[in-house]
This record gives sequence, C-alpha cells and structure tokens, in this order.
Amino acid sequence: MRALRNPKRGRAAAAAVLIVCGLGLTAQGAWIPAKAAFAQVLLERAFARTLASGHPEKPWPWADTVPEARLSLGGESYIALAGSSGQALAFGPGHVEGTPEAGEPGTAVYAAHRDTQFAVLGRLRPGDPIAVTRSDGTMATFRVTGSRVARWDESGIDPRAPGRHLALSTCWPLDAVTHGPLRLIVEAESDGQGDARSD
Amino acid sequence: MSVLAFPLARTRPRAARLAPLFLGFLALFAIPGATRAATPPPGSGELVLRGPDDAAPVEAPRLMTDVTVDVSGPTARAVVTQAFRNTTKEWVEGTYVYPLPEDAAVDSMKLVIGERIVVADIRERAQAKRDYEAAKSEGKTAALTEQERPNVFTNAVANIGPGETVLVRIEYQQTVRHTGDRYSLRVPLVVAPRYNPAPPIVNLVGEGPATGGADPVPDRDRITPPVLDPATHAPVNPVTVNVSLKAGFDLGALRSDTHKVNIEEAGPQSRTISLADGPVPADSDFELVWKPAPSVTPTVGLFREHVGDRDYVLAALTPPEGKAGPRLPRDVTFVIDNSGSMGGTSIRQAKAGLLAALDRLGPNDRFNVIRFDHTMDSVFPASVPADQANLDRAKAYVAALEANGGTEMLAPLQAALKDTNPEDTKSIRQVVFLTDGAIGNEAQIFSAIAAGRGRSRLFMVGIGSAPNGHLMQHAAELGRGSYTNISTIDQVAERTRELFSKLESPVVTDLTATFSEGGADVTPGLLPDLYRGEPLVLSAKLPQATGTLTLSGRIGGTPWSQTLDLSSAPEGAGISKAWARAKIGDAETARITGRMTAESADAAILELALGHKLMTRLTSLVAIDATPRRPAGARLSSAELPLNLPAGWDFEKVFGTAGERAAPIAPPPVQRRAELRRAAAPAVALPQTATDFEIRLWLGLTLLGLGLLVARSRRFA
Repeated sequence: MRALRNPKRGRAAAAAVLIVCGLGLTAQGAWIPAKAAFAQVLLERAFARTLASGHPEKPWPWADTVPEARLSLGGESYIALAGSSGQALAFGPGHVEGTPEAGEPGTAVYAAHRDTQFAVLGRLRPGDPIAVTRSDGTMATFRVTGSRVARWDESGIDPRAPGRHLALSTCWPLDAVTHGPLRLIVEAESDGQGDARSD
Repeated sequence: MSVLAFPLARTRPRAARLAPLFLGFLALFAIPGATRAATPPPGSGELVLRGPDDAAPVEAPRLMTDVTVDVSGPTARAVVTQAFRNTTKEWVEGTYVYPLPEDAAVDSMKLVIGERIVVADIRERAQAKRDYEAAKSEGKTAALTEQERPNVFTNAVANIGPGETVLVRIEYQQTVRHTGDRYSLRVPLVVAPRYNPAPPIVNLVGEGPATGGADPVPDRDRITPPVLDPATHAPVNPVTVNVSLKAGFDLGALRSDTHKVNIEEAGPQSRTISLADGPVPADSDFELVWKPAPSVTPTVGLFREHVGDRDYVLAALTPPEGKAGPRLPRDVTFVIDNSGSMGGTSIRQAKAGLLAALDRLGPNDRFNVIRFDHTMDSVFPASVPADQANLDRAKAYVAALEANGGTEMLAPLQAALKDTNPEDTKSIRQVVFLTDGAIGNEAQIFSAIAAGRGRSRLFMVGIGSAPNGHLMQHAAELGRGSYTNISTIDQVAERTRELFSKLESPVVTDLTATFSEGGADVTPGLLPDLYRGEPLVLSAKLPQATGTLTLSGRIGGTPWSQTLDLSSAPEGAGISKAWARAKIGDAETARITGRMTAESADAAILELALGHKLMTRLTSLVAIDATPRRPAGARLSSAELPLNLPAGWDFEKVFGTAGERAAPIAPPPVQRRAELRRAAAPAVALPQTATDFEIRLWLGLTLLGLGLLVARSRRFA
C-alpha cells in the first residue's frame, strides 16, 4: 500500500499550495478596492486640511501626491489627486498632466479606475451636474454634454479648446475584467455658474 | 384585397398597361451580361445569408428595375417595376431598399406571380407588417412596401420559389420641378450609404430606461442595406428608364446631364426619352431637363380634378421678376461637407461650386467658410469683409480640402445659423450649405433649422450622383431658402450662377392666396417666400371649383397681385393625390417644428393617407397571394439585396479599408478655428484605468476552493 501513501502526501502539498496561492491572490484582489476606499478617507481629511490651511497637505507622511480637488458627480464625491500615474490612481481620481485646472479655459481631464471611483461614469446622463471644488476653495460647476468611447491615444481631447470644459475618463467597457485600449470619456461644459467660495 | 387571375395576353388594354412589366421581365433575360456579371467568384464576399438552421448559405435574389414616367404638363406619373429573381434552389425572402422622389405620392403596388396579379391594400404600418409576416409564415407569396424616409422605401417580398421571378410594381405621382425657364424631372436610382451619428454612449451602458439624448437615428438598421465595393464586385441592380414627355408647350432644349439618352420627337410638344446604352447599374440619379422653345412663354399652370364630391385645383405661377432695388450688403456663411461620402467626384464639384460662389461676393459683403466632417473648422472666427486678402485666404483653404471621416452635420449647421447680430436690418444673412446629405438624422437637422434659423436664410446645394433630396428640399423650405442640385462637374458654373441670381435678386414675400368661394383647404398653409424664377405652387381642396383665385404679395417691396379664373381651368390627373401628399408634408413639418403635437400630426397624416390611399410613414402597402405555395417543411431564407455604391464615390472613404462602416462610434465635432489647427493636434493621452482586482479575486477564490476540495477529498480518502 506504499504506492497509495505518496499520492496522499502529494495531494496534501497541492492543497496547501493552492490554498496559500488562493489566499494570496484573494488578499491582493481585495486589497485594491479596500485601499481605494481607505485612501479616500485619508484624502478627504487631507483635503479638508488643505482648504483650511491654503497649502497642499499630504494625506499620509510618505505620500508622493497631494489632494487637488473634490469631484462631486452622480451623488458621489471623490478627492482627486495631482497626476495620473498608476500609483496615484490606486488611491483616487487623478488630474491628467498637461491639462488645465477645472474651471480654467481649456479642457480639464480627470481619470480614475472604472471599478472603483469612476464606475459612476456609466450612470451619468447629458445634463447631469458635476461640481469640482478646487484646492483654492473655488468651485466650478459643469453639465454633462455627452459621452463617447475612444482609444487612449486618440482621445480627441484638446486641452486648449476654447471654452471651459471638463472630461472624465475611465476604461471601457465598464464591466470588462482585462486591460484594454478603449476609454469611456464623459464630456461636460461649464454652466457659467460656480466660482462661489465653498467652505 | 382583390386577386386577379387571367392570362395576360388575352385582355388587350390590361396587357398594354402591363407592358413595362414585360419589359422588365424580358430585359432580365435579354441582358444576361448585366445580371450575370454579378455572379460572385468564389470567396469574393458576395452577399449571402445563412438560413435559420445554419445550413448552406443562400444568395440574395437578383433585381432588375424598369422605370417608366409619363410627364403631362405639371405632373408626372411613374411606374417602377422591380423584378426579384431567385437564382437559388431554396425559397427566399428578399428585401430591397430603394429611393423615390422626395415628393412622390405612392398610391399603388401590385405583386405579379406568374400570371396572377395581386393588388396591394393600404393599411396602417403595424397592421400591414403583421399581415405580411403571417402570410410569410403560411407560405404565401407576399410583398410589403414601407416608407423609411419620404424618399427612402423598402420592398420585402416573401416566398419567392426556387428559380422563380416575382414582379413588384409601384406607381407614384409627382410634380415637375420648375425654376426660371428650366423644367426638370429627377428619378433617384440608388440610396446612398448614410452616416448615422451614434447615440449618446450613456444610453448604451443603459442601466434602467434611457433618459439622456435619444438615438438620433432610431431606425438605423432599416436604412443601412449592404453596399458592394465596386473594386471587387461588378455593378448589380440594372435599371432601364423610359420617359414619355408631354410638356404642354412647344419644346426647346431637352437633355440629360446624368445619363446618355435617346430622344425621339413625337410632335412639337412631345418627346420620348430612353437610355441610349440600354440598362445601366442603379448607381446614380437620372435627371432630365427641358426648356420651352425660345418664342414661347408658358402660361399659368392651373388644373383641376373632380374626385368624390370635391374639386381639387393645382396652381403653378411664376411671379414677374422685380426691379432690383438698392442692393443690401450680404453676410454669407458657406458650409462645405468634406466627409468621406463626398470623396471622389463630389468633393471636386463642391469645391468648384464654392470657389465660383466666392467670386460672386461684392466688396460690401461679409463672409465666412465652415468645413465639416466629424469635426469642424471655420476659416475665420467670425464673418469678415469680402476683400481680396480674405477671399484669397478662404480660396486657398477650400482648395486644400480633402474628403474624409464621418458626417456630423448638426454642429456646423448650428454654427452657421448662429447670428451675432440678429436685429440687423441693414444686411441680409444667408447660409449656403454644400453637401450630399448622406445622413440618417434628418429629423435632428430639421428641428435645429426650425429652432435656430432667426433671420438667416438657408440655401441647400445638393452635390453628387445621389444626393438626399428629402434633406435638401425640406431643409431649404424650413430655412426659408431654396435648393439646387449639382449632379455633374459640368453643371457647376450654370447652377452656381442660378443660385447667385437667387441670392442677389429681390424676394417675393408676404404671399397670400385668396379663393373667392369659401371652404378652400389650401396647402402649403403658409406660402413660402419665392426667389427669382421660382414658381408658386399651391393646391387646394374645394367644395366646387368656381369663382377666382387671387394671388398677391410683394416683390422687393412693390405690391403685386394676379387673379385666376378657376372655372376655365383644364382637367388634370392626380391633382387630389398631389394635394393630399402636400398636406401630409405640411403635417410632418408641423410635427417637427412643434406647431402640432406628435399625436395630432399622426392622426391627420393617417386620415389623409387612408382617405387618399397614399403610402406614408404610418401606412404601408401590402399584397398577399391567396394560396400558400411553399410546401410545409421547406425552409425560407431571407436576404437583403445589396446596393451599388453611388457613382463617383470612394468606397474606402465611406466604409474604411476593412469594408466595415467606419467609426461605429462617432468622434465628436471638435470646434477649432483654422488658425489653431495644429499638425497632429496633441490629444491628451488617457491613462490606464482598469485594475485586475476582479481577476485576482476570482482566481484567488477559485484556487482557494480547489485547495479546500483537495484537502477534503484527502480526508475522506
């Protein structure tokens, strides 16, 4: 019966390996949305401090980015960070480099993960309001004008377009599980209001 | 529904009337080259369709069309015979999308199967569709004619037997177009591929009912039949055209710029016209133009018809040309379509037309040029004086245009109609719009014109071999302007001159029509302003055609009026149909502009359509054979008949190199001035915004589950 003992031991080892790998991947997978949710709490606090002090405040001591604006859309509110590197995007929406601040002439672009903060983009309809509170305390308000899908390198967004525009981008399709070249772009136009101090 | 079954040749008058049917039928076999040329080489991508049980693919039926038009004075009656020939060993259903003139009053359809003729009934659209589907599933041969646009129709024919040919014969009434001393008849022969702007993406995501902007082309799948690439397929759908012309006056010049024709003289007022080279592929519209003999001035066209207990009158009268008053400075915005559908010969015609138009501007005029595909640009940020420097700059800009991309017409139209100075009465604001109109969102365009026209007047210039006449005519009507077609490069000079003489001459305004007897129902309800050479065409329903009709208005500020005696009007044919068709057009316009609610407009249209047996958006013609013929158990395959690409078009510019419709999701119009246009505008690169947490989570949980399973099985082993 020795022949039977080996498979048993092998099976035990296999089970252990599978369980360990499974736990590891599950933890990794679960960590991503957990990190995003937790980071938003810290970012919210840091942004409140930024508004109060007038200086950029880091959300945690070793952070390499600062909260830049609060985006309010579709009934949700997120703190956006400067820059759109993968690291910044792990915590919240990023303000894409080379585009103006929201409310300034041109097109301000924010990007975020489709499966965390910007899952909400799929629910936006033309006419829906979007408000952006900037770190200087001013608020710019926009109305959604429409949305479209484009390749990441053919976005057609002109950061220097005349008028005051806002573009929000996330990966498309929203329910895909792998990375792809397509982006959903929701476009909005300044509705001329806003600019009121918000405290 | 009446089913007539008799040997055709024995009943002489009937046989004579059916001559076109035979022509079409015989021509099918007389010119095998034209139809067989389309036999696909293996693997050429000929349109085939898999049956429901995924058996062998089935070819679409072959089609041959004969168009016979009888022109009699101001009206024309046309008979279009389509022969659907099933070359397969299966029972098939064929669907063919085809054009008719935008003002066609379609009132008759007959289905001919062997020796049986089935006369179609007019029914409400949904009911007609149900009846057709029922007949189709019962194995009866049936035909259904539906209107997709006032100038785009679909014929579906079900249960065509193996090797059989079935004929569908449609008849319609139309009025002859008349401007200056030029009379013209246009027979559209192909539906050009349309660009259909994408619905807002938010709707596609669609959780819950769509509340955002609705799809601008809700029926996109009905107006996008397959189109053959002329590079890999011989032309299909051969067509013959015969016109019998009785002008009602002594004829001068008569010609067709679009096709080579044979002309036979049959008296001073009559001609017989046929295609010189026999059947041609249905890939460009047929246009016939005639003028009266130089010594003749055609008199007022006034005709009447008695139908039921009512009289109908049709009046066509050209007001005299006014004296040119002081010339007001004009502010002209030119809009040129440089989308992919304009590729090939169309863009050359459009550019030549626009360059000729720029030369006609005076030193006191102002102008601007906007170009659009799925993006748009303007040469100047706002209109500028027409001085040499500005004109040179605009001309260089126009000369460099190339056709490419989608056709997002709404934004450039709105930009052109935007008036920075709406109260200005010292200048005239005009918009000249050059396009082939190959779009599916006509309704959106019409609403924008009705809402935004202000004091601007919109002049449409239809370009190319198969322009969208419905868009041209209706946009000009809503924009209180006029429209003209440039079908070939040879017509550019003549038609541009004509357009400009309209732009420059005094307009006939404040037109009213007064009948001395009461009870007249007049259409159009609001008489349009008229440009030089344009006739006033109106029709009316009266209890009795007696008394007088007085037309009055102002020509460039001077009052004018003319009185016509109705009782002396000669009898005309089809006047009541023309009146009903015009009333239906009025109701459609009222619906678009919001003067009528959708419900009340639809009710009015339905009543007119059923009363006068006309096909409309809401009514269809359906013919059903009495006896089922397809044996029970034999399968029926369906196929959409492919269309030719309109002549002069560039297939790749419209469909892309892969042979698929380019840009399923339209990029938005990016508004940018020409000066700001940068070589390869640095569009923002968007970061990767997807995480793979879901994959990891699922993979992790799966592994975990597997591990636990293995562990359990070990315990019980």
